[in-house]
Amino acid sequence: MRSRVFTLGKNLLIFALSLAILSVAVFYVARLAPGDPLASYYGSRVEKLTPEARFAAEERLGLHDPIIVQYFKWLRGALRGDFGISFQYKRPVVEVIGGRIGNTLALGGIGFALTFALALLLGVFCAGHEDTFLDKLICKVGTVTGCIPEFWLSLVLILIFDIYLGLLPGSGAYSVGKADDLGDRAAHLLLPLAVVVLGHLWYYAYMIRNRMLEEIRADYVLLAKSVGLPDRKILFRHCLRNCMPTYLSIMAISVPHIIGGTYIVETVFSYPGVGTLSYESARYQDYNMLMVLTLLTGAVVILCNLVAQTVNARIDPRGRAAETEVTADVR
Amino acid sequence: MSADGFRIVGMQPTPPKAHKKNRLRGKPVISAALLFLIVFGCMFAELLMTKDPTYMDLAHSRLPPDGEFLFGADTMGRDLFSMIWYGGRISLAIGFLSMAISAVIAVVVGTASGLAPKAADAALMRLTEILLSIPNLLLVILLQAILGKANVLSLSVVIGVTSWLSIAKVVRTEVQTLRGSEFILASRAMGGGFVHVLRRHLAPNFFPSIMFMMVMNVRSAMIAESTLSFMGLGLPVNVITWGSMLSLAQNALISGAWWMILIPGLFLITTLVCITNLGNYLRKSLNKGQRNL
Repeated sequence: MRSRVFTLGKNLLIFALSLAILSVAVFYVARLAPGDPLASYYGSRVEKLTPEARFAAEERLGLHDPIIVQYFKWLRGALRGDFGISFQYKRPVVEVIGGRIGNTLALGGIGFALTFALALLLGVFCAGHEDTFLDKLICKVGTVTGCIPEFWLSLVLILIFDIYLGLLPGSGAYSVGKADDLGDRAAHLLLPLAVVVLGHLWYYAYMIRNRMLEEIRADYVLLAKSVGLPDRKILFRHCLRNCMPTYLSIMAISVPHIIGGTYIVETVFSYPGVGTLSYESARYQDYNMLMVLTLLTGAVVILCNLVAQTVNARIDPRGRAAETEVTADVR
Repeated sequence: MSADGFRIVGMQPTPPKAHKKNRLRGKPVISAALLFLIVFGCMFAELLMTKDPTYMDLAHSRLPPDGEFLFGADTMGRDLFSMIWYGGRISLAIGFLSMAISAVIAVVVGTASGLAPKAADAALMRLTEILLSIPNLLLVILLQAILGKANVLSLSVVIGVTSWLSIAKVVRTEVQTLRGSEFILASRAMGGGFVHVLRRHLAPNFFPSIMFMMVMNVRSAMIAESTLSFMGLGLPVNVITWGSMLSLAQNALISGAWWMILIPGLFLITTLVCITNLGNYLRKSLNKGQRNL
């Protein structure tokens, strides 16, 4: 019991430390970038400002302090839950993000769940039918889709389903004036969701397939077979169960991939989510926004890495974690 | 005692030598040939081009494919067929350059981390993990902003700098298993420095295991280039690459100019699939036996 508390404490410490380092790094790097944050705050009016007015404006936004002072000012606010004002939207950062995060969670969350449910099904199916025509076909399709950039797949889907067939909407999260219509929202979600799922599914299915095949070659399968267990039972009861630690850690490690993919897809579909927001904030030097968004995604990713390690250590104490970690990064 | 009589019961005789026809079996012949065609086409683009790829002929803006414009023309009236071959050079160059940059960083960091004492190693690995937990897209945007206006070199550096972690991890694991070996100890005892040990003793041993990942990095670098250029963060429209050709795609969508989206994309994907197939073949054939050199 004591050791469990100790591990939890250690992980929390690592998590906090990682976030701190991340925030310093992003804070520093974002301010190294050239560009005028005033321009995103005042728009084109910035050119008409007199030097004095400009100085006063910069003073008000705290842009003249040394970078360390700026950082600690930010940190003091952040610890109290005040993340500052978005230069671009002129509203508190948390408010802007809060209005959009639901869209991203819907897209990313459903996409994630669908990807992994389908990947498991496909992976197990292929492993059970190794080297049959269907298995080979699915693997080939997987290789090809792994090479398709997500933005291109989005473009092609928009071209087919929106421009030529006119079946599904290709941009935004809802039609004008239909913000509360659930069906309309679902229709807008369909194409981005398809890209998120199709872009990642095959790769993970392939990983699960290979892991299952490894398991099928193990000695205990031979034993189970000689005892007289039917194939189906061996596959689902024994092999699948042994693959679960790998499956869970792949799930945790894949989170950054899926987040990255979601961001790109959001931008192509002009879907009002966190992805388009971070793209905009990085382009227009919206420091406060960028900080929060990077920390948010960073926190999720670091958390998932920690979860993956812990889950692996708990389910399978022999330390197979390192191995899956490496293979999961290949893409 | 004749050789024929010396046969253990139950053991299969050696199989007859593989027929000549079968020598190419299981090898990615089609991929290699296609890749060869594309790479050569791009290298000698001048011989294939039917028009000047940079010439903007606004009278033919968004012309669908026909006899004169084999793949059609883009929004600015440039000939897509010529642009494909001409632009492929830069796309391929960025792919390989980024791969080289990431491989060098990965080998140096991975080896240093693998040879370092445990605490330093853990700290180094943890730190890189934190920095790379920022989604690549954001990191690239940030770096791009610092490096200023994008050109081929800066884009390769940005992509290379953000894609070395997975290779470094493999190098580190390999180095950790190798570093206790006698031949490393002997080399160090005889005064071999870091670079010498790395180059003569470590690199030949871990190279086969990172070879496949390096090939895969070419693929992801080319995907990254096209994605960045498409989003307007990579190369500008006047530098022709497969990615920057796609940066006009939003415009093409509205007018339904499918050839502007499909053709550069298909070339990119064909190249990437070929590279992947070659990489997979490399992985299988290199992993066959332990190298004792």
